[in-house]
Amino acid sequence: MTRHVILTSEEHGTLRVRTEASAELGDAVMTSFTVPFEFRRIQHDFPILFRRDIETGRFSALALLGFESGENLFLQDGRWIADYKPLAMAIQPFLLGRSVSGDGPSQVHIDLDHPRVSDNGDGVLLFDSSDRPTPFLEQIGEMLAELDAGYRASGDFFAALDRYDLLEPFALDVELKDGSKHRMVGYHLINEDKLRTLEPNAIADLHSEGHLMPIFMALASLSNLPKLIALKSRGDGNG
Amino acid sequence: MAGLLKRIVIVGGGTAGWLAACRLGASVGKSTAGALSITLIEAPNIPTIGVGEGTWPTMRATLSGIGLDEKDLLASCDSAFKQGSRFDGWVTGNAGDSYYHPFTPPFDAPATDLVSAWRELGPGAPFAFAVSAQPAICEAQLAPRQHSMPPYAGALNYAYHLDAAKLAARLARHAVDDLGVVHVRDEVVGIDALEDGNITAVLTRGGERVEGDLFVDCSGHTALLIGSHFGVEWIDQSQILANDRALAVQVPVPADSPIESQTIGTAHEAGWLWDIGLPARRGIGCVYSSRFLDDERANEILRDYVARVAGEDAAQSLTPRALSFPTGHRAEFWRGNCLAIGLSAGFIEPLEASAIVMIELSLNSLIENFPASMDMLPLHSARFNELFRTRWDRVIQFLKLHYLLSCRDEPYWRAQRDLDTVPQRLADLVRLWRDQPPSAYDLPLAEEIFPAASYQYVYYGMGGALPRHLPKPRKSVMAQIEQLTQRSRALVAALPSNRAYFDARRTDLPKVDRA
Repeated sequence: MTRHVILTSEEHGTLRVRTEASAELGDAVMTSFTVPFEFRRIQHDFPILFRRDIETGRFSALALLGFESGENLFLQDGRWIADYKPLAMAIQPFLLGRSVSGDGPSQVHIDLDHPRVSDNGDGVLLFDSSDRPTPFLEQIGEMLAELDAGYRASGDFFAALDRYDLLEPFALDVELKDGSKHRMVGYHLINEDKLRTLEPNAIADLHSEGHLMPIFMALASLSNLPKLIALKSRGDGNG
Repeated sequence: MAGLLKRIVIVGGGTAGWLAACRLGASVGKSTAGALSITLIEAPNIPTIGVGEGTWPTMRATLSGIGLDEKDLLASCDSAFKQGSRFDGWVTGNAGDSYYHPFTPPFDAPATDLVSAWRELGPGAPFAFAVSAQPAICEAQLAPRQHSMPPYAGALNYAYHLDAAKLAARLARHAVDDLGVVHVRDEVVGIDALEDGNITAVLTRGGERVEGDLFVDCSGHTALLIGSHFGVEWIDQSQILANDRALAVQVPVPADSPIESQTIGTAHEAGWLWDIGLPARRGIGCVYSSRFLDDERANEILRDYVARVAGEDAAQSLTPRALSFPTGHRAEFWRGNCLAIGLSAGFIEPLEASAIVMIELSLNSLIENFPASMDMLPLHSARFNELFRTRWDRVIQFLKLHYLLSCRDEPYWRAQRDLDTVPQRLADLVRLWRDQPPSAYDLPLAEEIFPAASYQYVYYGMGGALPRHLPKPRKSVMAQIEQLTQRSRALVAALPSNRAYFDARRTDLPKVDRA
C-alpha cells in the first residue's frame, strides 16, 4: 500500500525517515530504476540493463543488483556495500509530484506507508525547529530534481537507440560455483556490433545529442556482471 | 620457572575492583605468561560509594575490550549517554553564565588559528559552539548515536552516565561467568607478609588463606593493603582544592521527561552541584567546603536546586546521604607487590569525572607493562609511581583551573583563587596563555589525561584572556567553521533524542535479567 501526500513543514515537522540500508526498509530489490544521466555513476558498481514495458512498449534502464526477485547482493549484514546507491533507491520514500497537466512547479511528496517512515524515534528529521528543510531533505530535493530531469531527458535517448536499432534482447545463463544455473530473460543490451558499424554521421548525431557517453557507460557497466556472479556464488546478500 | 607473577588477588569489589578483574581476566588470553589466575575478594554488605556516575569516553574501549555488549551495558546499568559537561554559574553566577566542555574536540586546526577564527565571529559566539558540533546537540538533548550504528561508535564522541552499583554488579557477573575470575565473598581480616613487607597471602574471616603474587588494593578509602599494611603516606591536597563534603540524592523522574546529554555542574556560594540524568532518575549532589559552608546551608542549597529542576514535591521528600572526603592521593600507588587502584589510591572531587578514568589508566598501564617476573617489580613500581604522580597532579591542576578563572566574589571563591593555593605549573600556564592559546605543547605526555582541547574549552569558556597578538583568521579555517554549522544542522536532524533512544517501549533492546 502507498499513501502519497505533499510534504509540508506544518504536517511533517516531527516526521523522521530512516536512512540505513535494510531489507525491512525496502532495499531487498533485484533492480533499481535508473536514467541515462546517472549511467556514469551507476557503471562503477552495477550492470546496466534495459527493459521494454509490455503495455507501453517503452524502454527504461535498470541497475542490476541481484539475479532473483527480492535479491540484492549489495545489501549485506544490514550494510550497503557498494560505493554508490542508485538515486531511485536513495530518494525513498520521497517522490516528485506535479499537477495533472505535467507542467508547473513540482512538489516533494512522501509515501507515508513506506517502511522508511519512522515510528520509533529513529531516523532523520525533515524540518528543523524553525521549519527550514534539514540538510537531509535539501539533499533529497536535489536528488529528486536530478532524477526528474534525467527521466525527462531519457525519452530522447531511447528514441535514438530505437532509431539506430541499437538494443538487442539478451538472455544470460548465470552459472554459479555450485553448478546450478540461473537464466535471466526479458532484458535488452546495447548491440555492440551495430554500434561498431554505425555510419560516422550517425555517430556524430548521437554525440551531438549527448547520447554517446551513456551508451558507452552502459557497455562498460557489463564488466560488473562477474562481480555480481561472484557475490551470488558466495551466497551473500540481503543480510 | 621461579619468580613468575601467576596469581593476582584483588581486594575489594566496587567499580575499581571489578574493572580490574575484567580487564585482567580479558588480558589473560593475550598474556605471554599465560595461566594467570585472578581472585577477587569482596566483603559482603559493604556499600559502594557510588558517587562516580560519570565516565570518560575511554570507557567505550574498556568495555568493548572486555567483551561486554553495549546494549547490555546500557540496559543493565540504567545508563544514558554523556557528551561532556556544562558549567553553569562558574564565571559570575549571573543569569546566562554557562559554558560547555564537550568530549568532541575542536575541528582540526592549529590552536592559534582556531582562536583567531572564533574571535572573528564576534563576542556573542561561545567558543565551544564555534569549534564543535556537540554543544548544539547537547542543547537539543539528543543522543550521540543512532540505534543502527555499530556498537560503541557514535556520530560524536561520548561516554556514559550510569548507576555505579549496577555497573559493578554487571562487571562482576561478566568477570565470573565469562572471564574465569574467582569470586570470594568474604572479609579480609589479616595479611601474611615477608620481612620486606611483600604480601604472600590475605586471610579472610571465614578462615580462608588466599595466596598471591600481585595484590591489587581496591578496598576504597579503607586502603587495607597500601595504607593499613604498607603505611604508604597520604598526600593531602586540600590546600589546592578546598571542597571536603558532599550531599547526594537520587531524584526519580517521569518516564517521558527529557534526558540531558551532559553532566551539569552548577556553582553555588561555596562549592557546586552535580546533576546527572539517567532514564529513571537524576543523581544530584551538593559539593562544598566545610570551612565556608555549614551542613544545614548545604542542605538548603541542594533542596532549592532540586525544587528548581524537579519540582517542589521532589524537594520535600529528600533524604540526602552525607559524605565527607579527603582530597589527595598516596605518595606511592605501587609498593612491593601491591598496587592501589581507585579510592585507595586517591580521591578528588568529581568535577570532571576523573575517578573512573584514573582506574582505567592504571589498568592500561599495568596490563601493557605487565611484570614478567617478581624481580622486575621494583622497576615497574617506580615507573608507575612516577607516571601516576604526574597524572594526579594534572587532574588537580585541571580542576583548579575551573576555580582560578572564576570572577565570583563570595569568600569561598576568592579563597579558591588565592595565588598561594595555585600550583606553580598552572600559574605559569595561565601566564603563558596571554601570549599563546592552550595547546598540545603544554601537555607533552604521550597519554595526557585531559587533552589540550579540554583546557581550551574551560579556559575560553570561562573568558580566559586571549593572546595579545592574534594573527588574522585564515580563510580556510573560517570555511571549517561554516562547514561545522552545516554539520550541526545535519546532526540535529539525524540524531534521536536521548529519551527516544532509551524509550522503554522499544522492542529491540535486551530485557534485563533482574534475578
